[in-house]
Amino acid sequence: MADEQSNKAHRPAQSGKKAEKKGKGKEKQGFNEKAFAPKSGRNADRQGRRNAERDQTRLHVPLVNRTPDDEPPPIIVAIVGPPGVGKTTLLKSLVRRYSKQTLSEAKGPITVIAGKKRRLTFVECNNDLNSMIDVGKVADLVLLMIDGSYGFEMETFEFLNILQSHGFPKVIGILTHLDLIKKAATLSSTKKTLKKRFWTEIYQGAKLFYLSGVLNGRYPDTEILNLSRFISVMKFRPLVFRNQHPYLLADRIEDMTSRELIRSSDGMCNRTVTLYGYLRGTNLRQNSRVHIPGVGDMSLRSVSLLGDPCPFPDADSEKRRKLSEKKKLLIHAPMSDVGGVTYDKDAVYVNVPGSFSRDADGVPQGEGEQMVMDLQDAANTLEEGVARSQIRLLGSSSLPLNVLARDDDEMDEQAGDEEESDLGGDEDDGSEMGSDAGSDDMDTDGEDSDKGPKVGVSILETEGRRSLRRVSRPMGPASGEAENGEVVFAESDSDMGFDDDLDSDVDVEEVNVCEGEEDNTEDAPAWKTNLASKAAITFNLGRRNRRKDWFSLIYSSSLTPRQVLETNPSAEAREVEDDLDDGDFFQLRSAATTVDDTDKTKEDLDPEDLKQWSDEELLDSIRHLFITGDSGGDHDDGDKNEYEDSEGGDFVDLEAPDVNASATALTEDPEAALAAKKEALKRKFDEQYDEPSNSGMDFYDEKKDEIAKQLQLNKAEFEGIETEARAQIEGYRPGMYLRIELEDVPCEMIKNFDPSYPILVGGLLAAEEQFGYLQVRIKRHRWFTKTLKTNDPLIFSLGWRRFQSLPIYSLDDHSIRMRMLKYTPEHMHCYATFYGPVSLPNTGFCAFNSLSGESSGFRISATGVVLDIDKSIKIVKKLKLTGTPFKIYKNTAFIKDMFNSALEVAKFEGANIRTVSGLRGQVKKALSKPDGAFRATFEDKVLMSDIVFLRAWYSIQPRPFYNPITSLLLSDKGHWSGMRLTGEVRREQGLKTPQNVNSHYKLIDRPARRFNPLKVPKKLQADLPYASKPKLMKPQQRQTYMQKRAVIMEPEEKKAVALLQQVRALRKDQVARRREKQKERKEVHRKKIEKDDEKRIEKDKEKRKEIMRAAGMKQKRETDAAEGRGPKRRKT
Amino acid sequence: MAQTGSVVTYTGHLYLRQRLVLAILSGKAIRVEKIRSDDASPGLTEYEISLLRLIEKITNGSVIEISVTGTAFMLKPGTIVGGSVVHDCPLMRSVGYFLEPVIMLAPFAKKPFHLNLRGVTTDDNDLSVDLIRTVTLPHLQLFGISDGLELQIKKRGAQPNGGGEVHFLCPVVRQAKTLNFIDPGKIKRIRGISHAVRVSPQFSNRMIDSARSVLNRYIPDVYLYSDVYKGEESGKSPGYALSLVAESTTTAMHCSEAVSKPGETPEDVALGAAHALLAEIRRGGCVDRKHQSLVLLMMVLGSEDVGRCRMGEPSPRTVQFLRDVRDFFGTTFKVVPADSDGVPNSHLIFSCYGTGYINVNRTIT
Repeated sequence: MADEQSNKAHRPAQSGKKAEKKGKGKEKQGFNEKAFAPKSGRNADRQGRRNAERDQTRLHVPLVNRTPDDEPPPIIVAIVGPPGVGKTTLLKSLVRRYSKQTLSEAKGPITVIAGKKRRLTFVECNNDLNSMIDVGKVADLVLLMIDGSYGFEMETFEFLNILQSHGFPKVIGILTHLDLIKKAATLSSTKKTLKKRFWTEIYQGAKLFYLSGVLNGRYPDTEILNLSRFISVMKFRPLVFRNQHPYLLADRIEDMTSRELIRSSDGMCNRTVTLYGYLRGTNLRQNSRVHIPGVGDMSLRSVSLLGDPCPFPDADSEKRRKLSEKKKLLIHAPMSDVGGVTYDKDAVYVNVPGSFSRDADGVPQGEGEQMVMDLQDAANTLEEGVARSQIRLLGSSSLPLNVLARDDDEMDEQAGDEEESDLGGDEDDGSEMGSDAGSDDMDTDGEDSDKGPKVGVSILETEGRRSLRRVSRPMGPASGEAENGEVVFAESDSDMGFDDDLDSDVDVEEVNVCEGEEDNTEDAPAWKTNLASKAAITFNLGRRNRRKDWFSLIYSSSLTPRQVLETNPSAEAREVEDDLDDGDFFQLRSAATTVDDTDKTKEDLDPEDLKQWSDEELLDSIRHLFITGDSGGDHDDGDKNEYEDSEGGDFVDLEAPDVNASATALTEDPEAALAAKKEALKRKFDEQYDEPSNSGMDFYDEKKDEIAKQLQLNKAEFEGIETEARAQIEGYRPGMYLRIELEDVPCEMIKNFDPSYPILVGGLLAAEEQFGYLQVRIKRHRWFTKTLKTNDPLIFSLGWRRFQSLPIYSLDDHSIRMRMLKYTPEHMHCYATFYGPVSLPNTGFCAFNSLSGESSGFRISATGVVLDIDKSIKIVKKLKLTGTPFKIYKNTAFIKDMFNSALEVAKFEGANIRTVSGLRGQVKKALSKPDGAFRATFEDKVLMSDIVFLRAWYSIQPRPFYNPITSLLLSDKGHWSGMRLTGEVRREQGLKTPQNVNSHYKLIDRPARRFNPLKVPKKLQADLPYASKPKLMKPQQRQTYMQKRAVIMEPEEKKAVALLQQVRALRKDQVARRREKQKERKEVHRKKIEKDDEKRIEKDKEKRKEIMRAAGMKQKRETDAAEGRGPKRRKT
Repeated sequence: MAQTGSVVTYTGHLYLRQRLVLAILSGKAIRVEKIRSDDASPGLTEYEISLLRLIEKITNGSVIEISVTGTAFMLKPGTIVGGSVVHDCPLMRSVGYFLEPVIMLAPFAKKPFHLNLRGVTTDDNDLSVDLIRTVTLPHLQLFGISDGLELQIKKRGAQPNGGGEVHFLCPVVRQAKTLNFIDPGKIKRIRGISHAVRVSPQFSNRMIDSARSVLNRYIPDVYLYSDVYKGEESGKSPGYALSLVAESTTTAMHCSEAVSKPGETPEDVALGAAHALLAEIRRGGCVDRKHQSLVLLMMVLGSEDVGRCRMGEPSPRTVQFLRDVRDFFGTTFKVVPADSDGVPNSHLIFSCYGTGYINVNRTIT
C-alpha cells in the first residue's frame, strides 16, 4: 500500500552553488567499477551464488490479496498485553497522535485516518482469553505490550501461540515501564535479555519498541510519533484464512427490536440487532450465514451499504503532499466518548468536563455540549411540534396532512419508535428531551420519506455528530425497494420492448433492401448479394436478443425457463408457424411437456430445423465461422459496424442501464471501441513477437503477473453496474462500511453488552455450516503440564468458532487401522477426532482445557491442523477376550468363559486364538452344553492351566457433542463454563469417587506350584535308547580313596604358609589404619561444605524476598487498576 | 422454491439431477415434492431411484428419505467419497444420465473416482459415452481437472437391452480454476466417431460418407472414425450412431449426435448429425449448448475471482440451472450480450464471481 505513494520526483538544482558544485570533485569520475569487483574467479563465483541464494530467500509463495488497493478497509491494530502494562495509555496516545482528540474512555474499535491511503482501527484487547482469541483472528498488526520492569508474562506467550495457530499477523513488541529501572546497566541488560527472548519467539530481528515513562497521562510524543511512523510503513502479507472468508469487526451495535415486544416479554425475547463495521477479507454475499464468536451462527437478514464514516481524503486534498489537518480530526469510535459523547446500547451520554456554562460563546464546544445546548433551546414540547408540523404526502401537493388528535400513548409510541430507529432506542427521558430537535428532524424527514424508505438509516447517521463527522447516507436504497424497482423495470421493458422492436425492425429492413439493390447493380456474385440481407436478418436477431434483459428475465421474473427463451421473437415466430402447421391440435403442447418430462440432456433433433440445412444459402451463411472462410466474414464485419453505428443512438435508452452499461459504453463512442480494438491487436502482436523477452520471466514473476491480471479483471468486470445489482452479483466488497441486520439474537448479547469485548462477524463458507467428524493432527503444547485424555472435553478455537468437544486421540497403526490412544503421547503428534462444524482442511487451531483466568499455568493445551472431514469415522481399540480350556483332547480343546452365547461364538467362527504359551489355534464351533463354550483346535496340545485369548478390535465413535462457547452472552464474560470432568463435578459437590472393589490392588498370594515327578514306565524305559533313558542314580554311599586319607604338610610348606598368613595380617592392618585417616579428612571437608551451604541458603532467601516484593507490588498495581483506575499508580 | 432453514425445497421432478448435484456440493439439504403427483404413474421413476442409489453409494453419510407414495423425497447430503464404485443402470436411461451428475461431483470427492457403470451406452435422451469422452471431459480440462481424467468404453450397449460397460476415472482437485473464455475462435477441425454394434460394419462407413458430404464443404480437416465393436463387447442389442465434434482455434467445442431409429437409413442418421452440428456451430459461443450448465457450475465453484465465458443462447436447462445456483450458492451471473468485434450475434457473456469453493472432502496427509 505504501508503495503506491508516488512522490514528487527530485529536481536537481539547475543553477546556483549546488549546480556548480555538481560537476566537480570526486563524483566526476563516477562509480569506480573496480572497487567492488571480485579479484578472483572463485570469489566471483561465490559472490554470484550468494546473490542468487539471497534472491531466492526473498521469494514467497505468491498469494492473492483480495483487499482492494484503492479503498482498503482500515488496518486493525490490536493492542495486547497483560493488565496494568499501559495499553489504554498507548491507545490514547496513538489516538491523540492521529486525531488530536483526547479520549477519556476508550472502548471498542476506534478508527482514525493515518494517511492518504491508510486508515487504522485500534482495538484494545482485554485480558480475557476469549478476547485474545478473537482479536488474534482479525488483527493485522499487533502491538504486544510487555512490562519491561517485570518481564514476560504468561498471557504474552499464550497470545503469541494463539496467533501462531490462526495465521501469524505482524507483531511489534513494545516495552513499557522502563523508567522504573533506575540503573543504566540494568536497563540495557534487561532490554537485551527481553529482546533475545522476544526474537526467539517471533523471528530474529523482530521490531521491539521502548517506551519510557508517562507524561500527562500519555507516552512521550516523540516516541509515539516514531511508533506511528513504523505503523504507517508496515506492509502486510495476506493470510490464507482471512483471504477465504469475509469478516467484520463490529464497531457499533444497535438493538432494533420493537420496544413493545421487549416490554411484553420482560426483555427476554430474541432481539433484532444491527451491527456496523468495515468489511474485510473477501466479498460478503447477501444471503450467507455468519458466525459471531461468543454468540453463535446466524443468518443475515439484510445487509446494507452505508456511507463511510471515516472516509479517505478526497481528490481535492489528494493534491497536497500531506494529509490536511482537518482530515486528521476525523475519528470513528461509536463506543467511546469522542467529543464527550458516548453511545451506549440504548442511550447517549454527554460528558461535560469541568464547569459548563451556556453563555461562554467564544469557547469552542464539543459535540456533546452542542447537543445539550440544542436540547436546552427547545421552546415547545414535542406535541406542539407535531401539531405544528406540516407533512405533505407528495412534494407537489399543496395542502399539508392534518394531524388529528390521537391517544397520547399512541403518539408517544410513534415518536419513540422513530427515536429508536435512530439511536437504537432512547429511554423515555431521552425522547422527551429531544422534543424540539426531533420535531425539526421530523419535518425534513417527512419530505424525505417521499423518496424512499432509506430515511430511517439516514437519520441514524446524521444524528448527533453534525459538527465533526460527515453526514453519511446509505449509498444504495434498501434492498427491498431495489428489488421492487427492478421488477417494475423488467415488466416495463418487456412491455415496451416489442413496440419499439417493430419500429426499428422496419427501419433496418428498409435500409437493407436499398443496400441489396446497390450491390446488385454493382454486379457482385450471387451469394454475396444475399449475404447482406442475411446479415441484416441475423443482425436483427442479435438486436432482438440484445434488447432482452437476460439478467432480469432469468433472475427476477416468474417465467418458466422455456418461456424465458420464447420471449425471443424469432423463436416465438417459429412456434406460431408450428401451431399453424398442426392446425388446432392442442394436444401438441401437452406432448411437448411430456417430452420435457424425461429430463434429457440432448434436445430432440427437430426435423424442420434440419430440413432447412438443405438450403445452400443457409449452408454458406455460416462459412465465416470456419478457418477456411474468414475473408468474407471480415468484409461483412465492416458493414455491420456501420449499421450499428448509425443505429446506435436509439436503442441505447431502451437497454437496461444497470447490466448493459459497459456494453453501451462500447457502442456509444466508436473512438473508444477503435482504441480498444487497437489495444487488443497490439497485445496480440506483443504476444507473438515479444516472446523472447517475456520468456525471461521466471515462474514466480509469471504467477504474480497472472494474479495481477486476474485482479484487474475482477475490478473491471462489474465496474459501472449500479451498486445494488452489483452487490447481488458479487456481494459487498471489502472496504465497504456495512450495516448488518441479524435476527433472533439472544437477548443476553444486548443485555450483557460490554464494549471492551470485541464483536466479530465472521462469514461462513458453504461447507462450514455443516457438521461432521473432524480428524486433526494434534500435539500437546510443550508448556502445558498435563497430558490430555481421550473423551475429556476440550475447547477448540477453529476457524471463527470457539467450541467444546470430546476428542478421541489415535495413532495410525501400520497404516492398517486407527488405534485409539487413551492419552496423548509425549513430544509427538497424534491424531484427534471430534465432532464439530466442518472446517477446511489445513486450517490451524489451538485447544484449551479451560478459558478461565484462574488457572495459573499455561492455558493452551494443544495445537494442530485439520486433516480430514467425514461423516463417519473408524477408530478402534484393542479388545482381548480370554477363556480357559475345560476339556482337552489331542489338539482339540473345549474352551469356556470367552463368550456368553452360541450366537456370539457363531460370529467368531474361524477367528484366530492364542494361548499364553504361544500356541496358535482357531475357533471352530459352539458347544451346546455350557453357554458360550466352543470347540477350538490348536497346533499342539494345550494345558489345562493355559489361558486362551482372542485379539479383537472394537470400533469406537466420538460422541456427537458440540458446545459453542457463548462467552459474549454472559454477564461475567470471563467465567464461561462448559462440560466439566466428572472429577471436577465430584470435587465441587464433595462426593467421593466410588471405587470398584475388584479394582483394588491387594497382595496376591500365589501358592508355589508343585509338579509331580516324571515317571517313565519300566517297560518303556527298557525300550528307550541309552541317550533317552532317564539317568537316575543313587548318591554314593562309600567314602572315596582320597576321603579316607588325611593330608599332612612338610615343615617347609608349613613355614611358607605361616609367612603368607603374617604378611596378609600386616596388610589388613595397614588398610584399616589408612581408612581411619581418610575418614578424619573427610569429616573436616564436610564441615567446610556445610558452612558454605549455610551461606548460600542465606543468599537465596534474600533473593527470593526481592522477587516476592516485586510480585507483591505488581499485584497491588493490578488491584489498583481494578479499583476504578483512580490515581495513576506511577508518577513521572 | 422456498427456503426453510437450510433445506431447499422444490416441486416437480424436472431438473432433478442438477439440483441434486448442487445440494451435495453446497451441503444444503434438498426436498423435492409433488413428483409426478398428477401423473398416471406417480412418484419417482426407476431410473431416478437408481440415481439416488448411486448418490448414496458415492457419498458417505447421506440421508435419503422417500415418502411412502414416492412423490416426495428429501436428501441430506453427506461427503463425496468416491473410490471404486460399481453401479448397474436401469435400461430406461443410458449411462450418460448417471455420468453427467457424477462428473460434476467427482473432482470434489475424497478419493479419486473409479466408477464402473453398466447399461445402455448410447441413446436419444442423454449424452452418449462418446460425447462424454470427447467433449464433456475436455470441458472439465478448462478448469484444471485433467490428470487421470478418463472414460474407458469397455463394452457398448444399445437400447433396448444394453449390456454396455464404461469405466470413469477422475482425479481429485482442491479448487477449480477460474475460467476466462470469451474468444470462440473459428472451427479448425471436425472429428467424429461412428459406431455400429451387432449390425453390418458397412453401416458405419455409410454414415461417415454421408456426413462427409455435408461437412467437407467447409473444412478439409474432417476425420470420422469408424468404431465397430464385435462379439462380447458389442452388448445385447443392435444399433449404430454418429457423434460429431467440431473444435475451434481456441479449443471451443461443439458437438452433435444422432442415434439409429427403426426405419432410418444410416445416411439419414448421419445427415441429421451433421446438420445438427452445423446448427450448433451457428449458435456459436465458446461452450457447447449441452455443456453450458457444467461450465457454469465450475465457474461458480471457482476461486473468488471473476470468471467469464461466452455462450450461445442458453437452453431451458441452463436458465433453470442459473436459478438453482442462486438458491444454493447465492451466486448470480451477470448476463450481457456479447458483440465484441462488431459481429452481431446472439451470444451472451456470462460472468460471475466465484464462490471460492474448496474441496473440503480432500484429505491432507
